[in-house]
Amino acid sequence: MKLRRLRENNEIPTSSMSDIAFLLIVFFMLTAVFTSTQGLRFKYPEDDPTNTNIQPEEAVHIRIDGEGQFVVDKVAMTLEELGGYIKSKMDQNPEKPVIIQTMPQVPYFAMIDVFDLLKQLDVQNVSIPTKTEIERWKQFGVF
Amino acid sequence: MQLRSKTKVQKTVIPTASMSDIAFLLIIFFMLTTSFSPERTSVQLPESIIRAEVTDQASIIAISEDGTIMFTSGEEPAYELAGPGELGQLTEEIIGLVAEKEFVIKADRNVPYQMVDSVLDALRSNGARNIGLLTRPEPKNAATVQ
Repeated sequence: MKLRRLRENNEIPTSSMSDIAFLLIVFFMLTAVFTSTQGLRFKYPEDDPTNTNIQPEEAVHIRIDGEGQFVVDKVAMTLEELGGYIKSKMDQNPEKPVIIQTMPQVPYFAMIDVFDLLKQLDVQNVSIPTKTEIERWKQFGVF
Repeated sequence: MQLRSKTKVQKTVIPTASMSDIAFLLIIFFMLTTSFSPERTSVQLPESIIRAEVTDQASIIAISEDGTIMFTSGEEPAYELAGPGELGQLTEEIIGLVAEKEFVIKADRNVPYQMVDSVLDALRSNGARNIGLLTRPEPKNAATVQ
């Protein structure tokens, strides 16, 4: 009798492993949530309620009344005019402070647009007073 | 006459054994380099051209369009706040620990400014000094004023 031993194929089938792995990669790539980590930064000076040394005539005062409605130093302007005006002021004095006052009902992005524009024009001293500060400044007749 | 050629037809095999190694290495690489943000409220951020990196260790205050305020000091998952008053108290505690802590405001582009203002007010009056306003990149075709 002739006994023929069947040769067993003793390999582990790993060809689909890479398919599985790439599927996992694609799945994680598609489900990844991209979060923004960048934005506009600013720094508040030390809060000092007793400081009354405010010189309003020195600063450029921007009031945002609505989307695209700006009152700059008591003159109504568009965003383009505002850019030109700030640029000419910066050419004279790069240290000139700029105050951004936003009316309560104005959408947030209108204020970001102005802030972004000032950053583009390299304005060093941007001041964003909060309502408490504005109230305080009003007592000294700034606004 | 010999019809069959002597050379045997070779079986062509592409070596794919290391493919899965490569793929798993890629998975591990992406897993390790992914940073998880503790604040995951989805808001429509305002656009800006100038954008600076806002530090990783910052506290995040998210203001959604409907006016809910979410807060995280950067370590724990974000939770909802009752109002800006509560934020003031939290700010004071955080500033007591880390004086130069950065606070990042992640507000929806359409929220009325008074919401942002009251948050800024709460931060400012409790000693926060470093503020970041989260934005997203301006669309490429947008006209820039320069």
